[in-house]
Amino acid sequence: MTQTIIRGARSLRAAVAALPLLLGTALAGHAADIDTSKPIKVAMVPKLVGLSVFKANEQGAQTAAKALNIDFLYTGPVTASAQGQVDVFNSLIARRFNVITTTSNNPTQLAPALRRARKQGIKVVSYDSDVSPDARDFFIQNTDYAAFGKALVESVAKYTGPDAKIAILSSTPDATIQNEWIKALTAYMKATYPKMQIVTTQYGQSSPSQSLTAGLNILQANPDVTGIIAPDGAAEVGAAAAVQKLGRTGKVAVGGCSDPDSIRQYVKSGIIKESPLWDEVKEGELVMYVARLAANNAIQRNGTFTAGDLGSFTAKDGVIVFSTPLIFNAGNIDQYKF
Amino acid sequence: MSGGRNDVTARRGASRRLPLGNWERALLVLLVLLTLGLVAAVPGFYPGFGDFLALSENFLPFGLVALGLTTVILTGGIDLSVGTTASLAAIVMAELWTGLHLSIWIAALLGVASGALLGLVNGLIITRLRTEPLIATLATSFIYGSIATALAGDNPPSGFPDSFNRLGTGAIGGILPYQIVLFGVLAAFFSALISRSAFGRKVVMIGYNTEAARYAGIRVDRIVTLSYVISGTTAALAGIVLAAYYSAVRPDMGSILLLSTITTVVLGGVSIFGGDGSIAGVVIAVLLLGMLRQGMLIAGFSDMVTTMVTGAILLGAIALKNLFAGRGTGLATLLRRLRIRPAATT
Repeated sequence: MTQTIIRGARSLRAAVAALPLLLGTALAGHAADIDTSKPIKVAMVPKLVGLSVFKANEQGAQTAAKALNIDFLYTGPVTASAQGQVDVFNSLIARRFNVITTTSNNPTQLAPALRRARKQGIKVVSYDSDVSPDARDFFIQNTDYAAFGKALVESVAKYTGPDAKIAILSSTPDATIQNEWIKALTAYMKATYPKMQIVTTQYGQSSPSQSLTAGLNILQANPDVTGIIAPDGAAEVGAAAAVQKLGRTGKVAVGGCSDPDSIRQYVKSGIIKESPLWDEVKEGELVMYVARLAANNAIQRNGTFTAGDLGSFTAKDGVIVFSTPLIFNAGNIDQYKF
Repeated sequence: MSGGRNDVTARRGASRRLPLGNWERALLVLLVLLTLGLVAAVPGFYPGFGDFLALSENFLPFGLVALGLTTVILTGGIDLSVGTTASLAAIVMAELWTGLHLSIWIAALLGVASGALLGLVNGLIITRLRTEPLIATLATSFIYGSIATALAGDNPPSGFPDSFNRLGTGAIGGILPYQIVLFGVLAAFFSALISRSAFGRKVVMIGYNTEAARYAGIRVDRIVTLSYVISGTTAALAGIVLAAYYSAVRPDMGSILLLSTITTVVLGGVSIFGGDGSIAGVVIAVLLLGMLRQGMLIAGFSDMVTTMVTGAILLGAIALKNLFAGRGTGLATLLRRLRIRPAATT
């Protein structure tokens, strides 16, 4: 059953993929511009192995790697530690990889190892969570921070009303991307819903159990909270589970971002109405396109480029925005399996 | 048994004539074989002498922690707060540097001093409040970790001066890493401290039999407290070196230190029950585990496999140790009895 769905989705994607290719050859052959004659070694290093969002990146990267003549390796630490990632980087440098792609556990600790890699001519492409700008060649940003901040607020605002008391449940106090989103959502909230109030910000350490505890604490300490924004995979699940446990379904709206597999049951039970994210599988494909282009020296830090069937993208100071937020709801969540 | 030898020294003497041969010597042979094997079999493991030595920068902070932790484990205690002590000391240093604009080196000294203070707190809780070291240091590890997170804030300092970063990744003449120099000097010091000084003998005595040590007139509480101060100091030093290695601090940067370091100490032949072990063994174990991990990673094994192998080595080492040292419970004791029984009947 699921097999057929996936196969169906694949053939659909293949058809969609073929379309611009045909158009491309008809027009000027833009998409086929990428030189794939020389095989290159590219590694993808997630924050930790075994997390489903990163697996989704890997799935996309695998597909693209085959098409781009890339010898692909997916490797990372068992726990989300910077030391683990640095160990992996060092081994990749010793094994002379051409490109290292990574989503960082934190921006500063990884920088020296990646700078060392760049000094030896290895291209570094970060995605999802950035490292210090001088430690990488390109950064693929999931979505524009401001757009995502807006999507996060809207994921609860529609259901709580414009003067609600909101709580935030994030991952850790120093998580780069979560802090950027919180900054963006606060700014959007101030401008659009001036009466909305953030009463507390708690942290679940990216752990499902700690997030559940933090969610319960929020609801019990602040009975007037009617919305929780949880911009972290584990935090959104924890917040939704807390609402369910305390029987507040329908009274407290949970929004945030997480991979569809983890939140599917809560979206279906109506605790989560909307949850913005992006297509992780396609993002993985883009990471490989950028890796290939960077290894070919065929991409500028400022300028546009075409990534096969994904379309064309713009790099600005080495930062490439992948897509606009993709909003999961009860109607569309079953189309996404990661 | 000649005069002057008591039961403790007799057993320690006997344990040197293990059928395995000397534990440290076995480890050393293993280390040499492993290193030669990796150099021969893994391309990229030996890219040149300087780069080969630089591999040690990735694991020597574990060695620094192990030196202090060995002292504590020899007394029969345990220090579970070494990881958070390292984090907190590094953050104290960084905050003094950014907040009060102190010279980074003075801030680093104060960071190490803060580690000693945290160790003192551990020691006093254990000796004055009569708390089990396991519980006391578990509790303080939570407390130190929380303080570190609070102090670090949402944007922990990074980008230390290059002269300081060299402590983590620099090398004398581009060949001999500063970390090796630091670790070498401290290892020699600790080796002398444990096996040649009165303090070291008292530490071992307490670990072997606390009551006997007390009746022998040793100020047990003072020695135990001091061992935690030492452990806090070396943990803090490791935190400072890590800060230089990353040129950044994070409140969770020390959390990986604890379990790997306990593994190292046990593999080094130190009895987890205290009273037996040597610094030499621990130093060899630091190099052995470090080289093994670096070698496996460079050979292309994933972190998963590497971590699994480390776990298996810990299990194997502690089982072997218990089996032949005659301490511990379960299968090891049973096997030992089976081994000894024929001798007893004759």
